Amino acid sequence: MNCVPGGRDLPALAQTGEVAAMVVPAAPSAEEGRESAAAIRAAGLVKTFGPIRAVDDVSVDLTPGRIYGLLGPNGSGKTTLIRLLLGLTRATQGRAEVLGVPVPSRAVLARIGYMTQSDGIYPALTVGENARFFAATYGVRGGDAVGEALGLVGLADRVGSVAGTLSGGQRRRLSLACALVHRPPVLFLDEPTVGIDPLLRVEFWAHFRVLADAGATIVVSSHVMDEADRCDELLFIRSGRVIARGTGADIRAQTGTDDLEQAFLRLGGDVEATR
Amino acid sequence: MSGRRTWALFRRVVQEIRRDRRSVALLFVAPILIIGLLTFILREGQAPSVAAVVVNEAGPPGVVLANALAASLADEGGTATVVADLATARAAVRDATASLAVVLPAGLGTRDSPAITILTNGLDPAGEGSRVAAAQRSLVRAVGGLTGTSVPTIEHTTLYGSPSADPMANFAPAIVGFFAYFFVYLLTGVSFLRERTGGTLERLMATPVARGEVVAGYTLGFGLFATVQVALLMTWAIPSVHVPAVGPLPDFWLGLGIPIAGSPLLAFLVVLVAALGAVSLGIFLSTFARTELQIIQFIPLVIVPQVLLSGVLFPVANLPEVVRPFVAFMPLTYAVEGLRQVFVAGADLATPTLQFDLAVLAVVAVFFATIASLTIRRDVV
Repeated sequence: MNCVPGGRDLPALAQTGEVAAMVVPAAPSAEEGRESAAAIRAAGLVKTFGPIRAVDDVSVDLTPGRIYGLLGPNGSGKTTLIRLLLGLTRATQGRAEVLGVPVPSRAVLARIGYMTQSDGIYPALTVGENARFFAATYGVRGGDAVGEALGLVGLADRVGSVAGTLSGGQRRRLSLACALVHRPPVLFLDEPTVGIDPLLRVEFWAHFRVLADAGATIVVSSHVMDEADRCDELLFIRSGRVIARGTGADIRAQTGTDDLEQAFLRLGGDVEATR
Repeated sequence: MSGRRTWALFRRVVQEIRRDRRSVALLFVAPILIIGLLTFILREGQAPSVAAVVVNEAGPPGVVLANALAASLADEGGTATVVADLATARAAVRDATASLAVVLPAGLGTRDSPAITILTNGLDPAGEGSRVAAAQRSLVRAVGGLTGTSVPTIEHTTLYGSPSADPMANFAPAIVGFFAYFFVYLLTGVSFLRERTGGTLERLMATPVARGEVVAGYTLGFGLFATVQVALLMTWAIPSVHVPAVGPLPDFWLGLGIPIAGSPLLAFLVVLVAALGAVSLGIFLSTFARTELQIIQFIPLVIVPQVLLSGVLFPVANLPEVVRPFVAFMPLTYAVEGLRQVFVAGADLATPTLQFDLAVLAVVAVFFATIASLTIRRDVV
């Protein structure tokens, strides 16, 4: 369970050959000249549901070109944090900004990609129709972007297939394509690799890395610790709080263990985190 | 509000439904079957055996016609008995010893021949309608058999209430309105519920789409299906084309031939405005449902009362005082009234009642569209 495959050296890259034609996100235009400006910024974010503090005083600055891993057990507040940053739910307290725009903002949504935990695609539509529909909602014209996004996830030859007839892994790919179709500089991926096979998982991470190298800010939530080393930086979340932040190496050094599961437990996480 | 995003939503709704063959069948085939069945039952159900009494005020031409009528009715198992005067005939109709009375007026057969009157008691419009129709057919045959006599006008009066020669004339507009409303509600409710529970609404809300655009896209999409549905239904209901016998095939009539006094386009407009309200009603009610079964369970709550109280089945005027106040709150009331205005009374856009009905339906559609868009929760403004 704890075998951590090498992060960046991906056999799938060579094999798919699609990487060369990958989407290059537009650089955050407003922030030009401020290379280190945060793409995502949260200050004192709190979200309560009745007595439950789903997100409890989260403050983060996330910089472009990096992959951030949001790690924590089920119910620790990862999805709620992502929804707050997207502006899909209103914070009880605190503020958030994406690309310098305070959320919620309908305009900034055009520059954010979001892959939901459920597939969020229309099973009655074909692969192509799904991608074209989401492209249109983002105001993207023309088939180039759609073809590129579908090529990226290896579904270019399934354009005419009805989404409901796809395998689970193919549906995840389509879901990812729909999140990438407008070449967003900011990408939230909520458990993107849940329920997909190891080979596809390797391909997904290769895609994420290429997007980040092109300047995208990527936030990936996961409850699987063995994906942690693929991220540039980790945020350990428990009970709505960020209990630790740093690279995998930082956290290992800090906790004195090579095992990130153990590290999570030593930082005050609970055993659920690893399942 | 972006036209392109709304258009994308519209296209998506259409693509989804088009692939769902069963829903398309439900939308188009079911109403056609049901209105056909109803017409059949109402018109032909009781093989009308007519026991007519004839009042002859026309002298010798009347005697000839009365005999011809008796012979013609006898072909269909009916009878025609000549009685002394109108009072006797009315008594016979009142006591139900005769199903109808035929009054042959003085001056029959002359150039300004007054109309022949058919009198029924008016208590069972549907049943009487079929008998009057049978008597009319017999009269026309009888007159046609008399050489040199033109077919006189035939009027139908009743002792009680108002007559209608074809029971479907009054019923069809209500059915057309009801089906458009009902199926559009059902399909939108279920589709939008899927959007809510399937995770696609969450996904959609993470795009720059506005709530109003979602409601507009759905309204356009289901509005299109409602348009096609109503067009098909009216094409089936209004014309009646005689297809002559070919070889071993007997001749038959295609279409129901339901009379419409006003413009079919205007009837179409009334149904469409009502159906647009049903789209938003479906979106709104999908908030309160967790499963598709629950959308079905709303039918007794939101559809059945409308059927009972909006005059689809029972004339509003006959409803008990207690429930009258609710009638005004049923959107279908205005659709049914407006359609009857067009079908039966031949109303046009200058008719105040029809103007009122259309205005109410439009207000209802806008009202439900507004609250429907409020149920699409997102904190993004």
